[in-house]
Amino acid sequence: MATTTAQLVLTSTDLLSDSLSLSAIATLTTAGSATGLTGTEGLGRKKTANTTEYTLFAAADYTDDKAHKVYLKNLSTTAAEYFEIQVAGTVVGRIYAGDWAFLPWSADSTGTNCDIDITPSASNMTLEYMLFTDE
Amino acid sequence: MATTAQLTLNSGDIAGDPVSVTKLMTLTKAGTTNDLDQSSGLNRVHLRSTTNKVLLGANAEGNDLAAKVYIINKSEDASLYVTVTINAQTIGKLYGGDFLFIPWSQTDTDADIEVAATNWTSSTGDIPVEYALFHEDTDFLTNA
Repeated sequence: MATTTAQLVLTSTDLLSDSLSLSAIATLTTAGSATGLTGTEGLGRKKTANTTEYTLFAAADYTDDKAHKVYLKNLSTTAAEYFEIQVAGTVVGRIYAGDWAFLPWSADSTGTNCDIDITPSASNMTLEYMLFTDE
Repeated sequence: MATTAQLTLNSGDIAGDPVSVTKLMTLTKAGTTNDLDQSSGLNRVHLRSTTNKVLLGANAEGNDLAAKVYIINKSEDASLYVTVTINAQTIGKLYGGDFLFIPWSQTDTDADIEVAATNWTSSTGDIPVEYALFHEDTDFLTNA
């Protein structure tokens, strides 16, 4: 059993009238258990040639209805450039230059084809990603 | 007025070599380097419903503006999970201790973020969920 952790630290000294300091740490485990995730696609990068929608992760390639975790980061340094993230065709949101996202992914392929798709706003953008899989 | 979010992914044994990824971002308004300047603050609810409940209601004025959402399942029971949906589409499940940090485009007023304590029963106890929204200008007062 592998032990993989994800930690989020949110900090602001001036968004509110008091300082914000929030930390959360999660051990990435298989669905409904304390057993650590053992699979990963590794840290990867995808350079997109144009503004076409790309399937980053196809649900059919992974075990259905599990506790997969996805990390995404837009490596652009041009503030206006973004990747739109969709899950099963539903827009989640946009990650602009320098933004990252971390989300659970069920990879549902029975009820809905729950692919993760990305659409870049410009050509020649680069997305960094990592998938932790519940096999 | 900078708010930062740092993600650290660590594992000594999920691969042949250790995984150590640390990413820091400043939360900014859409397409700019101007900082996000509004927040819902940190909220806490106790879920005891297997049906979807609106956690964050989409605002049409927020369409494609920058917003970031943090949600964590604070249950200490690894088997209790919260199903997270956007626009009625399941995105994923947060098991006890899991969190997410995602952008939220609020593409239309149907793009609510909803949660359900899908495997809750009267004997499992409530599922505590904490969440926060960081966003830019939308006229929430008109919806008050």
